[in-house]
Amino acid sequence: MIKKLLIADDSPVARKILKSCIPKDRGYEFYEVGDGLAALQKYEEVRPDLTFMDLTMPVMDGVEALMKILELDRNAVVVVSTADVQKKTIQKVMELGAYTLLKKPPSKESVQEVLLRVEEHLENQKRAHG
Amino acid sequence: MIFSQIFDMVNIGIVVLDRDLKVKHWNRWMALHSGIAAEEIAEKSIFALFPNLNTSRFLRSCKAVLTFGNFSFFSQKLHRYLFAFKPVNSFGATFDYMQQSCTIGPLRDENNVIQYLYITVQDVTEVVSYEQKLLQMNMEDSLTGAYNRRFLEVYLRQELEKYKRYSRKISLIMLDIDFFKKVNDVYGHQCGDFILKCVAGEVALQIRKVDCLARYGGEEFCCLLPETSLDHAMHVAERIRAAIEVKTYDYQGTPIQVTVSLGVSELREKTDDADKLLKLADDALYEAKRLGRNKVISLQS
Amino acid sequence: MDKLQDCVFTDEEIDILQEIMNIAFGSAAADLAEAIDLFVVLSVPVVRVLQAEELPEYISNEIQGYDKVSLVEQDFLAKFKGVALLIFPSGIGKSLIAMLESDVDSTFESDPLDALERETLMEVGNILVGACVSKVAELLEDVVIYSPPRVIVENLPYKAISQDMFEPGNLAIILHTVFHFNAQDVSGFLFLVCSHESINWLRKALYEFLKQYE
Repeated sequence: MIKKLLIADDSPVARKILKSCIPKDRGYEFYEVGDGLAALQKYEEVRPDLTFMDLTMPVMDGVEALMKILELDRNAVVVVSTADVQKKTIQKVMELGAYTLLKKPPSKESVQEVLLRVEEHLENQKRAHG
Repeated sequence: MIFSQIFDMVNIGIVVLDRDLKVKHWNRWMALHSGIAAEEIAEKSIFALFPNLNTSRFLRSCKAVLTFGNFSFFSQKLHRYLFAFKPVNSFGATFDYMQQSCTIGPLRDENNVIQYLYITVQDVTEVVSYEQKLLQMNMEDSLTGAYNRRFLEVYLRQELEKYKRYSRKISLIMLDIDFFKKVNDVYGHQCGDFILKCVAGEVALQIRKVDCLARYGGEEFCCLLPETSLDHAMHVAERIRAAIEVKTYDYQGTPIQVTVSLGVSELREKTDDADKLLKLADDALYEAKRLGRNKVISLQS
Repeated sequence: MDKLQDCVFTDEEIDILQEIMNIAFGSAAADLAEAIDLFVVLSVPVVRVLQAEELPEYISNEIQGYDKVSLVEQDFLAKFKGVALLIFPSGIGKSLIAMLESDVDSTFESDPLDALERETLMEVGNILVGACVSKVAELLEDVVIYSPPRVIVENLPYKAISQDMFEPGNLAIILHTVFHFNAQDVSGFLFLVCSHESINWLRKALYEFLKQYE
């Protein structure tokens, strides 16, 4: 069950766009940050079920934040949100442990798909841990 | 109605290809110049009938157009032509093929998705022909037909660039007609002009196509010899000197004999710019005059 | 400069433009890799609004550190119009040629390298500019017409950008990024300069873009 969502992107417009693609009738709790370091701190504080991470952010970029969050919690579900979806980038972030990539600009459909997959993933995890 | 007429009436080639680069449309201009009817080429890959287009550059351009909606440009200057068509009317003398300026651009469907690309083909043979003529006139000395000084300087610079890259040899001959002023004074300026033409002609006989003969000053000529060592250049200079020495030119019944002095220089490490090379040849020419004229001299060994 | 930006664009408008640029350049890089095997990294673009007269100086300052430059200029025409400038350090033509694995045309016998370098600069420039500008246009639902690119090889950076390139008395929006071809270790600058006539349309288009998400 997804309850808490963390959105990390230095562009307030990008955060707004992403939020608008996420259905509001599911009782999700939203948390937003504008840089990688804040993302790490917020993650520790709130322990969201799903994190959307932009790659190019100030202070600490998305790649580093991704790695640090996984160090903190190896079951973290982090979806990298980027416009640069070439094979090399995908490979790199997946190797680092991202759950999947979301292409920018997002659409209601593409976000819906991600949410579905993550829901399933979390269900499976719960079952696995009894 | 009107648009389909435009397609076939305009004096420009229009080809439409689909995403697999198969021909969807081939307008009348293309049909007339290629001898290939639209029905013959429809649905075939463009490379089936024009294999010369199958280059990485062309493919890359098409991909860019189909992916981004770019325009891709094939100018005559860099590509000469895309489609090998015979030139129209009288340009067959100057060009083997019609010179073309082409553009590739995107075509979209109702959903704004790029489904096709168009190629326009413009015949620019006439324009290019005029351009070349202008350039020619700009490069030549109208009296003797040799190149002019401006051209020599440009050519020299180009050759020096090559020299810097590949370290081949370059030599220069500076040539001056002895007592030319006397010819003018005794026989008149028109005779002087005639002699200039003769001497230029004589030099031209002794040099190769890649060598550049230019009229450097009033009675001074300069000859640039790429890929030539000093030794060899001295031989060429001597051949020129000897040929002119034994010749008697006939100007309206009057026999005229002239001699020439020649200075030769070779590009060496210390001589790495055009001015130095020219000066060395000039200084050698001066020495040749000083030593009695009708001589070939070099200050290098 | 900031005051000017306030007059012309609000903070939110700049944010939207910035995000659009991010998306456009990011997906341009991705498509260049996938479709054309051209691997380029485009840095996060910077958005500025300036007076046209300030442009040459601004650009010169940005490209400091380049000894000699080659410039590819290309006009683009859409509801937003302007000129794209691609500035490379001089001499990288050879690396770009290797990058494109060009079929060497034997007609360029006299000075093969120079003509090929020029052509390669033009081709890379055309593709890069086309990719970036088209992506921006796509997001703003507009279609672009391009003029053929012009290659200018100039010695000194400040000489390369002439004063009369831009209409004085007008505002210009300048968007720029640093691009880097990793394998060849070649970098350069891409500047997009939009004339001020585009500003009104651009403002509307930015809001239209955002409206999709409300």
